[in-house]
Amino acid sequence: MTDVAISRRGLRVLKACFGLLLLFLYAPILIMAVFSFNDSITVTFPLSGFTLRWYREFLSNGELMVALRASAIVAATSSAIAVALGISAAVALVRKRFFGKGAVSGLLLAPLVIPYLILGISLLILFNAAAIPLSILTIATGHVVISVPYTVLVLVPRLERVSVSLEEAARDLGASGPRTFRSVTFPLILPAVISAFLVAFTLSFDEVVVASFLAGDQVTFPVYLYSQLRFPTRLPQVIALAVAVMAVSGFVVIGAEIGRRIADRRLATQLASAGTPETRGIP
Amino acid sequence: MSTPRASRVAIGLEGVRKRFGSITAVRQVTLEIREGEFFSMLGPSGCGKTTTLRLMAGFEEPDEGRILLRGVDVTGVPPNRREVNMVFQHYALFPHMSVFENVAFGLKLRRVARQEIRQRVMEMLEVVRLEGTERRRPGQLSGGQQQRVALARALVNRPTALLLDEPLGALDVKLRKEMQLELKRIQLELGTTFVYVTHDQEEALAMSDRIAIMNNGDVEQIGSGREVYERPATTFVAGFVGLLNELDVRVDEVQGDIAVMRTGDDERVVVSADDARPGDRLRIAVRPERICIEERSAPHTAHGSRLGGVIARVAYLGTFTQFHVDTSIGIRVTSHRLNDERTDMLSAGDQVFLCWGRDDAFILGGAGSSGGDVA
Repeated sequence: MTDVAISRRGLRVLKACFGLLLLFLYAPILIMAVFSFNDSITVTFPLSGFTLRWYREFLSNGELMVALRASAIVAATSSAIAVALGISAAVALVRKRFFGKGAVSGLLLAPLVIPYLILGISLLILFNAAAIPLSILTIATGHVVISVPYTVLVLVPRLERVSVSLEEAARDLGASGPRTFRSVTFPLILPAVISAFLVAFTLSFDEVVVASFLAGDQVTFPVYLYSQLRFPTRLPQVIALAVAVMAVSGFVVIGAEIGRRIADRRLATQLASAGTPETRGIP
Repeated sequence: MSTPRASRVAIGLEGVRKRFGSITAVRQVTLEIREGEFFSMLGPSGCGKTTTLRLMAGFEEPDEGRILLRGVDVTGVPPNRREVNMVFQHYALFPHMSVFENVAFGLKLRRVARQEIRQRVMEMLEVVRLEGTERRRPGQLSGGQQQRVALARALVNRPTALLLDEPLGALDVKLRKEMQLELKRIQLELGTTFVYVTHDQEEALAMSDRIAIMNNGDVEQIGSGREVYERPATTFVAGFVGLLNELDVRVDEVQGDIAVMRTGDDERVVVSADDARPGDRLRIAVRPERICIEERSAPHTAHGSRLGGVIARVAYLGTFTQFHVDTSIGIRVTSHRLNDERTDMLSAGDQVFLCWGRDDAFILGGAGSSGGDVA
């Protein structure tokens, strides 16, 4: 790739900057990964030797595993609900004409800019006032509020690329509204639905502020981690767990992204040939 | 295959009106489309032809008026419960389904037995000449093939009428001509009523039994291609369908039912006019292909119009040549002549006579309209 606007030297500077950015982003994670295998209770250089002790330790830490399970449940429920709400919102925003659409879309996206601290406090007040006991369900509710705007942002552009006439064609051929959604709209936005789900899931999985406000007896994994930082002896196994979680989520996200790209490319060629038909002869 | 029953009405519109906000897309359209006919709605973009089609399909609901399918009022009935099917401008094939699944979509929803679905889909793919493509995805087909899949997907349901929304707009000229013939063949083979929306007058003339010319949400005229071309009911129709020369002239003399305008020695313009009086101002129209060109030396003919002029420009267009002639009455007139030795001799600057028969000209705006226009 040659860009006429940038000189060769400028390009070198840019590349160096990019390298620094990568270092800045990933060096902490790398160091953490290194320390997770370090055979010492103190997290300092020099390294003392290789061990898998910390990994074994967290696996046998019952409290931690329970917190992890709670997080998985919260993340799964909250992201499923957020995606369902996100789909309805996206369909309304993209397909329907109604009064105050701009205001509605603004309101939908507002949680993006509301500090989590404030969201957490206000939800806590709300649940108290409504006499709803705090549990992992209240955490999940809080996470739905946080993730809906993200799911909307992921779903809207995709839905915009699915031509309305495809839905009209289905209707025309005898499909009811729900049937049209099931047979045509949903399969065509599926990659975005999966992306939205993953975004919402990861968002919920490592969210600590809202969760700590809304947690009842059972805390989630990030809240537990945060509380354990006070005990220096627990630190190495916390690090090991963090690395394990990161590795798993990394694999999941990369896998999903690859899948989405493949599906996207296929749909793009399909839509391109359906939208602006080529004018080859009939063989 | 059913035979066309020309007498019955497939689709009826009664005083249909549709507004979008402050814009009236369709105003008071009343028309009847006969069973088995190829009916076109022709007009410039924004004339309301697509909205009218969408009203028939049920994608839009009229603000006023009724829509009838085979005599049954379907106003307010959703598109999935109307027995018409549509071919969309960009085909709207389902990209995630195979050709077979696309065509079978409507039958599956109607819970047709599996065996029968398979048989009918294959039959229809044969009709549109797409045998062997049933496993492919629409994205793997050419534009013309996708067009045929869209046709098959709609026709396999045996609709009361097939609605086509500028289906050939995206194809190149050669393929478009081929598909015109194909559409007509399929229509005749199946005997299905076709309602065809287009802005291309040649396309409408080539295929239609009847054409509705639309403008500004109104139907200006309904008639056969020949009727709307040769006897346009309104100035708009005259101008929209085909090229037209317009001459503003004053009547000097009336001989029976013929108005005569003397424009010079040996030159005159005549037109059939029932109630013209000397002194009347008329706007008359002549199609370019009706005007012949004679050299100045040619002998004088007694009947018809004859107008002197100078050739201003000559455009060679393959099968015919277009002559732009500045006439003695100050109006530039266009004449189309099939190419032969005589047209080869004429060039810009030549003094010529233009001539046309009495019945080749018509008066614009009223006289001679053949009905069918809706106010």
